[in-house]
Amino acid sequence: MTYLFKRLSLLLLTLLLISVVTFVLTKILPGDVAIMILGTRSHPETLTALRQELGLNDPLVVQYGRWIGDLLQGDWGTSLRFKEPIAKLLGQKILASGVIVVLSLLIALSLAIPLGVVGAVRQNRWQDTVSSSTALLGISLPDFFWGMVLILLFSRWLGLLPSSGFVSPLENLWLSIKHALLPAIALGLSLMAHLTRMTRSAMLEVLSQDYIRVSRSKGLGERMVVYKHALRNAIAPVITVAGLQLGYLFGSIIVVESLFNYTGVGWLTYQALLNRDIPLIQATVFVIATVFMLSNLVVDLVYKVLDPRISFE
Amino acid sequence: MATESFSPQTAASTGLGSEQRVRRRLLRMFRTPKGLIGLSLVVLFSLTAILSPLFIQEALSTKINVTARLAPPSPSHPLGTDQLGRELSYRVLLGARTSLMVAVLAVALSIVLGLPLGVLSGYFKGWTDLSLMRLVDTLLSFPVLLLALSISAILGPSVRNATVAIGIAFAPYLSRIVRSETLKVSSLPYIEAARAQGASDLRIITRAILPNILAPVMVQATISVAFAILAEAGLSFLGLGTQPPTPSWGLMIQASRDYLDVAPWTALVPGTAVALSVLGLNMLGDVLRDVLDPTFIFESAGAQ
Amino acid sequence: MKRRDFLKLSALTGGAVLLGNAPNFRALAQGGTPASGGTLVWGHSETTQNIDIHQTGTASTLRMLQNVHDSIVVPDSNFTIQPGLAEAFEVSSDLLTYTFFLRPDVRFHNGKLLTAADVKYSFERVKDPATGATNFEVFNDVEEILALDDHTVQIKMSRVYSPFLARLSENGSGAIIPEGSGETTGTQPIGAGPFQFIEREFGNEVRLKRWDEYWQGPAYLEEIISREVTEPTVRLTGLRTGEMHLINDIPLDRVDELKADSNLQVHTWAPLSWAFLNFNHQIEPFNDPRVRLAFDYMIDKEVLVQGALWGQGEVTASPSFPTSPSRNNDLQVRPQDFNEARSLLAAAGVNPSDLEFTFKTTTNYPWHVEATQIMQEWFRMAGLRVNVEALTWSDWLSQCWINRDYTVTMMNFFTLWEPDFLYYSLWHTTGAFNYRNISDPVLDDWLQQARETADQSVRMELYHQIKQRIYDEAHDVVLWFRNGTLAAQKNVGGLDHIVNPNGSNLNFWRVSLG
Repeated sequence: MTYLFKRLSLLLLTLLLISVVTFVLTKILPGDVAIMILGTRSHPETLTALRQELGLNDPLVVQYGRWIGDLLQGDWGTSLRFKEPIAKLLGQKILASGVIVVLSLLIALSLAIPLGVVGAVRQNRWQDTVSSSTALLGISLPDFFWGMVLILLFSRWLGLLPSSGFVSPLENLWLSIKHALLPAIALGLSLMAHLTRMTRSAMLEVLSQDYIRVSRSKGLGERMVVYKHALRNAIAPVITVAGLQLGYLFGSIIVVESLFNYTGVGWLTYQALLNRDIPLIQATVFVIATVFMLSNLVVDLVYKVLDPRISFE
Repeated sequence: MATESFSPQTAASTGLGSEQRVRRRLLRMFRTPKGLIGLSLVVLFSLTAILSPLFIQEALSTKINVTARLAPPSPSHPLGTDQLGRELSYRVLLGARTSLMVAVLAVALSIVLGLPLGVLSGYFKGWTDLSLMRLVDTLLSFPVLLLALSISAILGPSVRNATVAIGIAFAPYLSRIVRSETLKVSSLPYIEAARAQGASDLRIITRAILPNILAPVMVQATISVAFAILAEAGLSFLGLGTQPPTPSWGLMIQASRDYLDVAPWTALVPGTAVALSVLGLNMLGDVLRDVLDPTFIFESAGAQ
Repeated sequence: MKRRDFLKLSALTGGAVLLGNAPNFRALAQGGTPASGGTLVWGHSETTQNIDIHQTGTASTLRMLQNVHDSIVVPDSNFTIQPGLAEAFEVSSDLLTYTFFLRPDVRFHNGKLLTAADVKYSFERVKDPATGATNFEVFNDVEEILALDDHTVQIKMSRVYSPFLARLSENGSGAIIPEGSGETTGTQPIGAGPFQFIEREFGNEVRLKRWDEYWQGPAYLEEIISREVTEPTVRLTGLRTGEMHLINDIPLDRVDELKADSNLQVHTWAPLSWAFLNFNHQIEPFNDPRVRLAFDYMIDKEVLVQGALWGQGEVTASPSFPTSPSRNNDLQVRPQDFNEARSLLAAAGVNPSDLEFTFKTTTNYPWHVEATQIMQEWFRMAGLRVNVEALTWSDWLSQCWINRDYTVTMMNFFTLWEPDFLYYSLWHTTGAFNYRNISDPVLDDWLQQARETADQSVRMELYHQIKQRIYDEAHDVVLWFRNGTLAAQKNVGGLDHIVNPNGSNLNFWRVSLG
């Protein structure tokens, strides 16, 4: 209980720090929001007036106070460029990213666990080599490269899947998945690689434990030993790492969503950065950082529940 | 007087593996296919990066030939040409220098920033630890690429700024690892003993802590170089890294995007270069980790 | 019926009325009735921005809004001003009074009939600086906007502003929105164009629906989905896989290949835009015309068009539209001549190896990045030391456009066919687009004169002089006209009517799906 309390108070502190870092980051970004709104053909006086109106001339502390105050009251402001409420924009985009994140996790786990298990069970044999090489290749190429190869293969040559765009799953689930599939694979490949390596080493560790040796000596079938006992014990750290990787996915989606013109949070963040849409950058960066931090926390807690041997400082 | 009691040798005997044993294990590992391939790829990559600029004039890699654009590999164009008719062979070779320079310097910067943070945090514990780690945790809440992207956006697009951005973004990860290693080492009895004997903190840190956390830092650095190569490619891909016409693998992949189906070699050449060097570094990293730090199970998070 | 009314009225008003055949009517007269209905998916090359027609200044947004809003007057392919929502107009001989006679049967998408009050409201909205309209300066010399009756609007000028009518026909300054709809036109625009705006998901798509009561008769298409796909190859893949019916801006290197593809149709036109190389005139030695001329001689424009545009364009010495009477056709593109360049630099006392600078370019136009690299190579061959910085659009805008913090850069412009808009904005000391710090008193004087000259042939002659001056002083180096391109599936009809005379806007009124 005190652990949880301590964790929560630290969480609030970190959240505050994240908001400060986010704010400072966006304040030192070069660029002119006003011209991004009005375009190249706008007049200097109109620009000056708009800067004033946006409060861009107020002292930093005032701007920060206003931002955090509004944020706490649920007012996320309006995107300068997109001219839409940020909360609404984020809602749409989180749904879009959610689809590819879930899909890529599914793809990664469904490939990584068998590959990792085979690698561990057949350690140092050809199956292990195949599994390890696949994993190594997966982490050795940037995800945008995989994305490009996928577009070439599945859209251009085979014509099986669309190469760009997002369709809401609430509108048409099948079409939505078709659009999300290629970006999800591109994202999932490197995740799969990490998880395969993780599964393999966790399995190896479990397989060398006493109770597995005991199970074996009791004459239980190898399948039974591997799948019922070993995998069940090895899966906890794998799921944990998968959870941790969620946060990294939020970094990867910036590149992958831009490549596929898939309008999710990553795409939104990149657009916001490109366009110096300060309120939007603040919101997206803050949300990503918060989600990332929370996922770390949840993973920690889950891990603590799954494996009571771990003690936290 | 107290020197003896906390020299690296003494520390090693407390269970972190003796130097001789490590050396023997390293030699053995480098004879395995993985070790051998990893090491040769890294050597090949480093030699290419260091030697190419000595033998290839920069101007050759920027020489434009509109009549021979997107030419497939042939005797006159060994690896084909890009959309402006530039030789991919020259560009990929010189691109190795960009990649290696950015990656190594970025990782060096992350060590310069992250090492002191981690050591201070792990050694002094208490409030120092708490406040420093809050800072680190905060930075860790930002995905590496997002942080690097923002920093690049602030500093403006250039190789130097991309290096700085990657270095800063990697630093918190390194300091986390350094901190936990420092915690491990500084709780060892001989450190307590040294403290009891009145050795200064500075002396303990430089003489006992640093030598003993070197191995995990090396492992992390090797893997980080691989991730830094990917990060540089990512930033250049988004236009915030190396500036044209300087040859860079990420930039080459980005430029190839529009010609992928008519001239796949424009993507495959730099793609293969990235893959081989990152593969080599990862393999080497795996081997080093197995040898130096057998208890280290969890993959430290990288720059994806 | 409508055509007859129209002709009758033109005969009636005669005299001062500037009339011709509106291009739209020609389309109607052509034989064969295309199929009605269907949803066309358009792969749009750019992201639409602020969709307030009066405020927006981006070509991409205007391209889409062209289908939602109609203007009071429109240009034809020779840039003669034709009736639009006004079925006729009168201009007094002193150019101080403009009278617009509105069509009686125009309905906005909200079902209301167009009246003089809407026109007055729209014009006053553009005129009011608080609106932040891009083209508010068009109304600078407007003294009074009067609604004479329900269908007649009169504008009184305080002094002669010769380009007034032409400016009204372009870039949204003459677009009429219903009275009082200014507050919502940035989110849910209501116009009198052939399509109603349904919704937009920013950066993803815009949906438009046919307006059945369009004054020129309903469009063929039931709906348009404009998918905003900025990546050229992704757009092309979308067209090839059948996800999209039509795309604009084909990747430059693929145009010939697509033309040969029997499953697709390709439409090209010239020009879509023009580009030029810029120097910061406040930085030594670029304030010396000899240095700027030297740069002109370092560039082989033909090779540049091949290298950066894959041949999809033409060299030009003047940015005036080829069909515009303001164009000075005597000017020749300067050839590449390194000796000439070196002697010009020497005459200016500049040692090539001392000339080191950063060439800022923007990734918003990938062909600019290619052109920059090619030019950099030539500058290097001339002995200069040049670095390139490829900036994002936003960085380019703030560094080059606003803060003028650059030495050399390049840019392109769409839709600037109106000579005052083009030359005054770009080359007058106080011009809104003078981001090069150009200040040439001779030019300033002529530009102001042209603005106030009522006689069109005298005015056009002035523009010839103006362009000659810009050419002689090499204030900038004009590089090329870029072709417009679009490709569509075979079943898309009416492509020959889709491109607006300004070369940038697309109008889907006569487009059909077979």
